[in-house]
Amino acid sequence: MRAYWQLTLSQLRIFLRNRQVLFWTLAFPLFLMVIMGSFLGNGNGISLTIGVVDQDQSFQSKILITSLIDNKALTVQIEKSENKALNKLKKDDLQLVVVIPKGYDASLNSPPAKSAPYLLPVYFNETNIAVSQVGLQVVTNIVDGISKDMLDYHPVVVMDMKGVETLNLKYIDFLVPGIVAMMIMSNNMNGVAGQIAAWRERGILRRMQGTTLKASTFIAAQITARLVLNGLQALIVLGVGHLIFGVEVRGSWFTLISFVILGTLAFMAIGFIIAGIAKTPESAGPIAGFLSFPMLFLGGVFFPIKNMPEFLQPIVQILPIAHLSHALRETMNVGASFMSLGTEALILGGWLVGAFIIASYVFKWE
Amino acid sequence: MGSQEEIIQVINLVKTYGNFTAVKGVEFQVHKGEVFGLLGPNGAGKTTTLEMLVGLRKPDQGTAIVGGFDITKELKKVKEVIGVQLQSTSLFELLSVEEILHLYASFYPNQVSIPTLIEEMLLGDKRKSRIKSLSGGQKQRLAIALALVHDPWIIFLDEPTTGLDPQARRTLWDIILLLKKKGKTIVLTTHYMDEAHVLCDRIAIMNQGELIALDTPSQLVKNLQSDSAVEFRFENESSEVELHEIEGVTKVGNQKDVFVLYTDDLQLTLTSLIEMASDQQLKLTDLQTRTATLEDVFLHMTGRRLREG
Repeated sequence: MRAYWQLTLSQLRIFLRNRQVLFWTLAFPLFLMVIMGSFLGNGNGISLTIGVVDQDQSFQSKILITSLIDNKALTVQIEKSENKALNKLKKDDLQLVVVIPKGYDASLNSPPAKSAPYLLPVYFNETNIAVSQVGLQVVTNIVDGISKDMLDYHPVVVMDMKGVETLNLKYIDFLVPGIVAMMIMSNNMNGVAGQIAAWRERGILRRMQGTTLKASTFIAAQITARLVLNGLQALIVLGVGHLIFGVEVRGSWFTLISFVILGTLAFMAIGFIIAGIAKTPESAGPIAGFLSFPMLFLGGVFFPIKNMPEFLQPIVQILPIAHLSHALRETMNVGASFMSLGTEALILGGWLVGAFIIASYVFKWE
Repeated sequence: MGSQEEIIQVINLVKTYGNFTAVKGVEFQVHKGEVFGLLGPNGAGKTTTLEMLVGLRKPDQGTAIVGGFDITKELKKVKEVIGVQLQSTSLFELLSVEEILHLYASFYPNQVSIPTLIEEMLLGDKRKSRIKSLSGGQKQRLAIALALVHDPWIIFLDEPTTGLDPQARRTLWDIILLLKKKGKTIVLTTHYMDEAHVLCDRIAIMNQGELIALDTPSQLVKNLQSDSAVEFRFENESSEVELHEIEGVTKVGNQKDVFVLYTDDLQLTLTSLIEMASDQQLKLTDLQTRTATLEDVFLHMTGRRLREG
């Protein structure tokens, strides 16, 4: 037991004194997060700001503006002049401009019977068609609602809208759990592989083999020290994500930490396999890189797995990083419970056990 | 000397790598409290032998009883009573001297006082220094300190002074002699003859995986049956001279263009050599005489020098 504590303590000391490694293993994920978060942070959610020019200033025009404001999908900006509003539209400051012409109120109050429907001008930017379409749809619905009210219309069929709980998620919410997963993968898999291979080459492991130290004690201490270090690094990344980008952990910390631990163990086991296979510390790096690089891009770290081509899906679905990043994401973004992430836990557990068995066969002290 | 307690018994140790046999059935005993030297050139099998005794390699045949425990069956017990310093081991460079000693001490049930150990190994002022910053000699003393943290009876040192400067070597010799005084048994390998002569009570000479001699240093030299050596070169290379015919010569050795004549009668051999040289009009250079050493024993037995690579 004393050996276990001493080894854990020594390993932590080595980590902390190796300032350069410590700095860069932390700087890299933070840098990625800040860079990608700043450039792409708002890219995924559509924000609709519409300008309204009220030339009628009537009872009916107020009703229309209120309905627009009430719609949560829209941010309404009241504009004084039509020209200014259209200029803003061209500059993409506004996505739509609704003009309520003089006589709107009067026209609605006149008997509707046979006259043609009133034409409400809505301007949109043709170069930004995707966003405009969504905006037009929203405005159409609102205007439609007003027409129906005016006619005292009783619908025969209505949609029963069941809102699925959608959170206002941005790309950064997607990104931060991915970065934590990436960090767990690279620090453990590459870190263990590199360090163990180097220690073996330099005869450090051999010297310890000459003592009464048990291999299991050595490995247990390695695992503990790395769990502590990884836990701290994950917390720092989450902290920065929270402070700069307002990323939250909606699920329980217990679930989050459980997956951090599970991921750490699984990737460490893979790292031990690489350390066993690699003949020299120089070859451990490229082997670890060969495994980690595709995982970075296919494993749902930066881009959703859904976006991957069809033929890659079966491969993507078995990658441990995919399940780790998914589980972290579900926990942080949606607040999923540990129980609901059983599949992810099971697959990561499978990797852990499988990799550990292989690692114990290929592991060499010298 | 023969009445001493045998703390190590090596019984027919064999180690093969593929079709190369590194150690070919070596047998010897080490007495309690002595400094036992394993001598031989590189590749003689001394490191392999030592590594089998400390449990780092499994013998293919034979075994050894170390401190009363069989190395093939009770390795854990063996490891508790032995301390090991390996050739070219590096340590955790970022830990301090004190920290790594505490770390290694934690691997064993018993331990000595670490502050005392640090003082004995002359590392007092380096107690808090990182291992990275130590000199070669200091690192080697630390490696020996690590072998002593659990107060072992038997200490194995694999080429403890290789690569050290003369000053550091002498410091290390003093430490080894101090350990001997404290009653430890020490098994060391070396390829320095002077070192073996100063430190060792008995020496086993290995060559090509076999034990070719085992005795005290003085007895080994005596067995050479020639107490003096005459070394010289010919200015113009000429190897057609029959050096064996010189009076008093018991053995002729040569290393490149240097000839060595071993003799029991130095005066007779010298006069005879000079006479022959003037008869045949050969010019002798670098002529010197000396008493025979372990180096000569080795050359005599194997035809090779210890450090010829």
